[in-house]
Amino acid sequence: MPVDKITQVSQTKPWHGQIPVYGQYTYGIAGERFFREIKANGRIMGAKCSSCNLTYVPPRIYCERCFSELTEWLQIPDRGAVHTFTVSHVDLDGNRLDEPLIVAFVEFDGVHGGIVHRLGEVEPDQVYIGMPVEMRLKSKAKRTGSILDISYFKPIRV
Amino acid sequence: MNEKVKVWPGTPLSEKDIIEKRVLFTEWEPNLKYAWDAGVGYGGYFAGLKEGRIVGTECSKCRRVLLPARAFCEWCFRTVDRWVQLNDTGIVNTFSVAYTGTAAERLKDPLVPALIEIDGSGGVAIMHLIRGGDPWKVKIGMKVKAVWKPKGKREGSINDIEYWKPV
Repeated sequence: MPVDKITQVSQTKPWHGQIPVYGQYTYGIAGERFFREIKANGRIMGAKCSSCNLTYVPPRIYCERCFSELTEWLQIPDRGAVHTFTVSHVDLDGNRLDEPLIVAFVEFDGVHGGIVHRLGEVEPDQVYIGMPVEMRLKSKAKRTGSILDISYFKPIRV
Repeated sequence: MNEKVKVWPGTPLSEKDIIEKRVLFTEWEPNLKYAWDAGVGYGGYFAGLKEGRIVGTECSKCRRVLLPARAFCEWCFRTVDRWVQLNDTGIVNTFSVAYTGTAAERLKDPLVPALIEIDGSGGVAIMHLIRGGDPWKVKIGMKVKAVWKPKGKREGSINDIEYWKPV
Protein backbone atom coordinates (compact mmCIF):
# COMPACT_ATOMS: atom_id res chain seq x y z
CA MET A 1 0.00 0.00 0.00
CA PRO A 2 1.91 3.04 -1.22
CA VAL A 3 -0.26 5.59 0.56
CA ASP A 4 -1.13 4.40 4.05
CA LYS A 5 -4.69 3.84 5.05
CA ILE A 6 -6.13 5.76 7.95
CA THR A 7 -6.13 3.46 10.97
CA GLN A 8 -6.98 5.88 13.76
CA VAL A 9 -9.87 8.28 14.05
CA SER A 10 -7.49 11.00 15.25
CA GLN A 11 -5.81 10.90 11.83
CA THR A 12 -8.97 12.00 10.08
CA LYS A 13 -10.05 15.54 9.48
CA PRO A 14 -13.83 15.77 9.65
CA TRP A 15 -15.91 18.88 9.10
CA HIS A 16 -19.14 19.05 11.05
CA GLY A 17 -22.23 20.85 9.92
CA GLN A 18 -25.97 21.02 10.03
CA ILE A 19 -28.18 22.03 7.14
CA PRO A 20 -31.24 23.92 8.37
CA VAL A 21 -34.31 22.81 6.44
CA TYR A 22 -37.90 23.54 7.35
CA GLY A 23 -40.84 22.78 5.12
CA GLN A 24 -44.58 23.18 5.02
CA TYR A 25 -46.56 20.85 2.81
CA THR A 26 -50.13 21.70 1.89
CA TYR A 27 -52.29 18.89 0.63
CA GLY A 28 -53.81 20.48 -2.45
CA ILE A 29 -57.48 20.68 -3.40
CA ALA A 30 -58.27 16.97 -3.19
CA GLY A 31 -55.98 16.33 -0.19
CA GLU A 32 -57.52 19.21 1.75
CA ARG A 33 -61.00 17.78 1.28
CA PHE A 34 -59.80 14.22 2.00
CA PHE A 35 -58.37 15.18 5.41
CA ARG A 36 -61.30 17.45 6.27
CA GLU A 37 -63.65 14.51 5.63
CA ILE A 38 -61.63 12.35 8.02
CA LYS A 39 -61.60 15.11 10.64
CA ALA A 40 -65.27 16.13 10.43
CA ASN A 41 -66.99 12.93 9.38
CA GLY A 42 -64.53 10.19 10.19
CA ARG A 43 -64.69 8.67 6.73
CA ILE A 44 -62.27 7.84 3.94
CA MET A 45 -63.27 9.34 0.62
CA GLY A 46 -62.20 8.42 -2.87
CA ALA A 47 -62.56 10.17 -6.22
CA LYS A 48 -64.13 8.23 -9.05
CA CYS A 49 -63.43 8.36 -12.76
CA SER A 50 -66.49 6.93 -14.49
CA SER A 51 -64.89 6.58 -17.91
CA CYS A 52 -61.91 4.59 -16.56
CA ASN A 53 -63.99 2.95 -13.85
CA LEU A 54 -61.33 3.74 -11.24
CA THR A 55 -61.77 5.04 -7.70
CA TYR A 56 -58.67 6.80 -6.47
CA VAL A 57 -57.59 6.70 -2.81
CA PRO A 58 -56.19 9.11 -1.83
CA PRO A 59 -58.49 11.16 -4.07
CA ARG A 60 -57.12 13.37 -6.87
CA ILE A 61 -58.66 16.17 -8.88
CA TYR A 62 -57.70 14.61 -12.22
CA CYS A 63 -57.70 11.06 -13.49
CA GLU A 64 -54.08 10.09 -14.18
CA ARG A 65 -55.18 7.80 -17.03
CA CYS A 66 -57.55 9.97 -19.05
CA PHE A 67 -56.84 13.40 -17.50
CA SER A 68 -60.52 14.16 -17.01
CA GLU A 69 -61.52 16.18 -13.99
CA LEU A 70 -62.84 14.10 -11.11
CA THR A 71 -65.95 15.53 -9.50
CA GLU A 72 -67.58 12.36 -8.20
CA TRP A 73 -66.55 11.60 -4.63
CA LEU A 74 -67.68 8.58 -2.67
CA GLN A 75 -67.12 7.06 0.72
CA ILE A 76 -64.73 4.11 0.93
CA PRO A 77 -65.47 1.28 3.39
CA ASP A 78 -63.58 1.38 6.71
CA ARG A 79 -62.48 -2.17 6.08
CA GLY A 80 -59.60 -3.20 3.88
CA ALA A 81 -56.80 -5.73 3.67
CA VAL A 82 -53.05 -5.60 4.24
CA HIS A 83 -51.37 -5.50 0.84
CA THR A 84 -47.85 -5.38 2.28
CA PHE A 85 -46.27 -4.45 5.60
CA THR A 86 -43.00 -3.89 7.42
CA VAL A 87 -42.03 -4.06 11.09
CA SER A 88 -39.83 -1.17 12.15
CA HIS A 89 -37.70 -1.22 15.29
CA VAL A 90 -36.19 2.24 14.78
CA ASP A 91 -37.65 5.73 14.39
CA LEU A 92 -36.94 8.22 11.60
CA ASP A 93 -33.68 9.29 13.28
CA GLY A 94 -32.54 5.71 13.74
CA ASN A 95 -33.27 5.54 17.49
CA ARG A 96 -34.49 2.20 18.86
CA LEU A 97 -38.20 2.01 19.58
CA ASP A 98 -39.53 0.45 22.80
CA GLU A 99 -42.31 -1.21 20.82
CA PRO A 100 -41.92 -2.13 17.17
CA LEU A 101 -44.03 -0.14 14.74
CA ILE A 102 -45.96 -2.07 12.11
CA VAL A 103 -46.49 -0.06 8.94
CA ALA A 104 -48.79 -1.44 6.27
CA PHE A 105 -50.23 -0.52 2.92
CA VAL A 106 -53.96 -1.09 3.27
CA GLU A 107 -56.02 -1.75 0.15
CA PHE A 108 -59.79 -1.48 -0.17
CA ASP A 109 -62.19 -3.46 -2.35
CA GLY A 110 -62.75 -1.86 -5.74
CA VAL A 111 -60.28 0.94 -5.04
CA HIS A 112 -57.25 2.03 -7.01
CA GLY A 113 -54.59 2.89 -4.43
CA GLY A 114 -54.81 2.62 -0.67
CA ILE A 115 -53.50 4.07 2.56
CA VAL A 116 -50.14 3.63 4.25
CA HIS A 117 -50.76 3.47 7.99
CA ARG A 118 -49.93 1.79 11.26
CA LEU A 119 -51.38 -1.50 12.44
CA GLY A 120 -52.55 -1.81 16.05
CA GLU A 121 -53.95 -4.37 18.48
CA VAL A 122 -51.80 -7.00 16.81
CA GLU A 123 -48.38 -8.56 17.35
CA PRO A 124 -45.87 -8.32 14.48
CA ASP A 125 -45.71 -12.10 14.04
CA GLN A 126 -49.48 -12.29 13.60
CA VAL A 127 -49.59 -9.94 10.62
CA TYR A 128 -49.87 -11.47 7.18
CA ILE A 129 -50.46 -10.26 3.64
CA GLY A 130 -54.18 -10.28 2.92
CA MET A 131 -55.12 -9.82 6.59
CA PRO A 132 -58.51 -8.04 6.90
CA VAL A 133 -58.25 -4.80 8.88
CA GLU A 134 -60.52 -2.01 10.01
CA MET A 135 -59.86 1.70 10.56
CA ARG A 136 -59.72 2.97 14.15
CA LEU A 137 -60.31 6.71 14.49
CA LYS A 138 -59.31 9.10 17.22
CA SER A 139 -62.21 10.73 19.04
CA LYS A 140 -63.62 13.67 17.08
CA ALA A 141 -62.29 16.24 19.57
CA LYS A 142 -58.73 14.99 19.08
CA ARG A 143 -58.78 15.01 15.30
CA THR A 144 -56.72 17.73 13.63
CA GLY A 145 -57.05 17.02 9.91
CA SER A 146 -54.04 14.75 9.67
CA ILE A 147 -53.49 11.15 8.58
CA LEU A 148 -52.94 10.43 12.29
CA ASP A 149 -56.62 11.23 12.92
CA ILE A 150 -56.79 7.54 12.09
CA SER A 151 -55.12 5.92 15.12
CA TYR A 152 -54.32 2.70 13.29
CA PHE A 153 -55.88 -0.20 11.41
CA LYS A 154 -56.69 -3.26 13.52
CA PRO A 155 -57.31 -6.85 12.46
CA ILE A 156 -60.89 -8.05 12.20
CA ARG A 157 -62.62 -11.39 11.77
CA VAL A 158 -64.50 -11.76 8.52
CA MET B 1 -49.31 38.84 -14.19
CA ASN B 2 -48.63 40.27 -17.63
CA GLU B 3 -50.56 42.00 -20.39
CA LYS B 4 -52.05 38.84 -21.85
CA VAL B 5 -52.75 36.91 -18.66
CA LYS B 6 -54.78 38.74 -16.06
CA VAL B 7 -55.44 35.78 -13.81
CA TRP B 8 -53.32 32.68 -13.75
CA PRO B 9 -55.24 29.44 -13.40
CA GLY B 10 -54.82 27.48 -10.20
CA THR B 11 -55.47 27.86 -6.51
CA PRO B 12 -53.23 30.51 -4.99
CA LEU B 13 -52.10 30.21 -1.38
CA SER B 14 -50.74 33.05 0.70
CA GLU B 15 -48.61 33.07 3.83
CA LYS B 16 -51.71 34.27 5.66
CA ASP B 17 -53.52 31.02 4.79
CA ILE B 18 -50.76 29.14 6.63
CA ILE B 19 -50.45 31.52 9.59
CA GLU B 20 -54.19 31.65 10.17
CA LYS B 21 -54.43 27.90 9.52
CA ARG B 22 -57.09 28.26 6.85
CA VAL B 23 -55.58 25.27 5.06
CA LEU B 24 -54.27 22.01 6.44
CA PHE B 25 -50.55 21.42 6.22
CA THR B 26 -47.73 19.28 7.52
CA GLU B 27 -44.57 20.77 8.96
CA TRP B 28 -41.28 19.10 8.26
CA GLU B 29 -37.90 19.74 9.85
CA PRO B 30 -35.39 16.99 9.15
CA ASN B 31 -32.28 16.57 11.27
CA LEU B 32 -29.53 17.13 8.72
CA LYS B 33 -26.42 16.87 10.86
CA TYR B 34 -23.43 15.63 8.97
CA ALA B 35 -19.70 15.09 9.21
CA TRP B 36 -17.59 15.16 6.10
CA ASP B 37 -14.31 13.34 6.35
CA ALA B 38 -11.33 14.39 4.29
CA GLY B 39 -10.26 10.79 3.63
CA VAL B 40 -6.73 9.47 3.04
CA GLY B 41 -5.55 11.93 0.37
CA TYR B 42 -6.95 15.22 1.58
CA GLY B 43 -6.43 14.04 5.18
CA GLY B 44 -2.69 13.77 4.52
CA TYR B 45 -2.74 17.14 2.78
CA PHE B 46 -4.39 18.86 5.75
CA ALA B 47 -2.15 17.03 8.24
CA GLY B 48 0.81 18.36 6.21
CA LEU B 49 -0.51 21.93 6.33
CA LYS B 50 -0.74 21.66 10.11
CA GLU B 51 2.97 20.87 10.13
CA GLY B 52 3.71 23.74 7.77
CA ARG B 53 4.27 21.62 4.68
CA ILE B 54 2.52 21.39 1.34
CA VAL B 55 2.01 17.72 0.66
CA GLY B 56 0.87 16.09 -2.54
CA THR B 57 0.88 12.58 -3.96
CA GLU B 58 2.51 11.25 -7.10
CA CYS B 59 1.40 8.77 -9.73
CA SER B 60 4.39 6.94 -11.26
CA LYS B 61 2.47 6.01 -14.38
CA CYS B 62 1.53 9.49 -15.60
CA ARG B 63 4.31 11.10 -13.51
CA ARG B 64 1.83 13.61 -12.25
CA VAL B 65 1.76 15.34 -8.88
CA LEU B 66 -1.72 15.42 -7.42
CA LEU B 67 -2.30 18.49 -5.34
CA PRO B 68 -4.23 18.69 -3.04
CA ALA B 69 -3.12 15.13 -2.35
CA ARG B 70 -5.44 12.35 -3.48
CA ALA B 71 -5.18 8.61 -2.94
CA PHE B 72 -6.27 7.73 -6.46
CA CYS B 73 -5.12 8.85 -9.90
CA GLU B 74 -8.25 9.47 -11.93
CA TRP B 75 -6.27 9.61 -15.18
CA CYS B 76 -4.63 6.19 -14.82
CA PHE B 77 -7.40 4.71 -12.68
CA ARG B 78 -4.95 3.39 -10.10
CA THR B 79 -3.77 4.04 -6.58
CA VAL B 80 -1.03 6.67 -6.32
CA ASP B 81 2.51 5.62 -5.43
CA ARG B 82 3.95 8.04 -2.88
CA TRP B 83 3.61 11.18 -0.87
CA VAL B 84 5.64 14.15 -2.07
CA GLN B 85 6.57 17.26 -0.15
CA LEU B 86 6.47 20.41 -2.24
CA ASN B 87 7.94 23.86 -1.78
CA ASP B 88 5.91 26.61 -0.21
CA THR B 89 6.81 28.89 -3.11
CA GLY B 90 5.14 29.26 -6.45
CA ILE B 91 4.18 31.54 -9.29
CA VAL B 92 0.92 33.34 -9.98
CA ASN B 93 -1.05 31.53 -12.67
CA THR B 94 -3.99 33.92 -12.61
CA PHE B 95 -5.52 36.32 -10.12
CA SER B 96 -8.33 38.73 -9.46
CA VAL B 97 -8.59 41.98 -7.48
CA ALA B 98 -11.85 41.74 -5.58
CA TYR B 99 -13.61 44.67 -3.95
CA THR B 100 -16.46 42.44 -2.75
CA GLY B 101 -16.12 39.86 0.00
CA THR B 102 -17.56 36.36 0.27
CA ALA B 103 -20.86 37.73 1.64
CA ALA B 104 -20.99 40.21 -1.27
CA GLU B 105 -20.06 43.01 1.12
CA ARG B 106 -18.05 45.99 -0.16
CA LEU B 107 -14.37 45.93 0.76
CA LYS B 108 -12.21 49.01 1.21
CA ASP B 109 -9.03 46.99 0.87
CA PRO B 110 -9.39 44.47 -1.93
CA LEU B 111 -8.68 40.76 -1.65
CA VAL B 112 -6.46 39.19 -4.28
CA PRO B 113 -7.55 35.59 -4.83
CA ALA B 114 -5.10 33.79 -7.07
CA LEU B 115 -4.21 30.43 -8.51
CA ILE B 116 -0.66 29.69 -7.41
CA GLU B 117 1.37 27.11 -9.30
CA ILE B 118 3.38 25.32 -6.64
CA ASP B 119 7.09 25.01 -7.41
CA GLY B 120 8.13 21.44 -8.11
CA SER B 121 4.58 20.25 -8.79
CA GLY B 122 4.81 20.43 -12.56
CA GLY B 123 2.41 23.34 -12.74
CA VAL B 124 -0.36 22.28 -10.38
CA ALA B 125 -2.04 25.28 -8.82
CA ILE B 126 -3.96 25.83 -5.60
CA MET B 127 -6.30 28.68 -4.91
CA HIS B 128 -5.27 31.17 -2.23
CA LEU B 129 -4.86 34.86 -1.40
CA ILE B 130 -2.02 37.24 -2.19
CA ARG B 131 -1.28 39.98 0.31
CA GLY B 132 1.59 42.26 1.30
CA GLY B 133 2.07 44.67 -1.56
CA ASP B 134 0.07 46.76 -3.97
CA PRO B 135 -2.81 44.63 -5.34
CA TRP B 136 -2.50 46.37 -8.68
CA LYS B 137 1.16 45.41 -8.98
CA VAL B 138 0.37 41.67 -8.92
CA LYS B 139 1.37 40.08 -12.22
CA ILE B 140 0.89 36.70 -13.85
CA GLY B 141 4.15 34.80 -13.46
CA MET B 142 5.11 36.68 -10.28
CA LYS B 143 6.97 34.64 -7.65
CA VAL B 144 5.22 34.26 -4.30
CA LYS B 145 5.92 32.51 -0.98
CA ALA B 146 3.55 31.18 1.66
CA VAL B 147 3.19 33.04 4.95
CA TRP B 148 2.22 30.46 7.57
CA LYS B 149 0.29 30.91 10.76
CA PRO B 150 2.38 30.31 13.89
CA LYS B 151 2.67 26.60 14.69
CA GLY B 152 0.30 26.61 17.71
CA LYS B 153 -2.48 28.27 15.72
CA ARG B 154 -2.51 25.87 12.78
CA GLU B 155 -5.43 23.48 12.71
CA GLY B 156 -5.06 21.41 9.55
CA SER B 157 -6.81 23.74 7.15
CA ILE B 158 -5.98 25.65 3.99
CA ASN B 159 -6.13 28.76 6.21
CA ASP B 160 -3.00 27.51 8.02
CA ILE B 161 -1.36 29.45 5.21
CA GLU B 162 -2.40 33.03 5.99
CA TYR B 163 -1.52 34.39 2.57
CA TRP B 164 1.13 34.42 -0.13
CA LYS B 165 3.54 37.32 -0.35
CA PRO B 166 5.47 38.48 -3.39
CA VAL B 167 9.18 37.70 -3.30
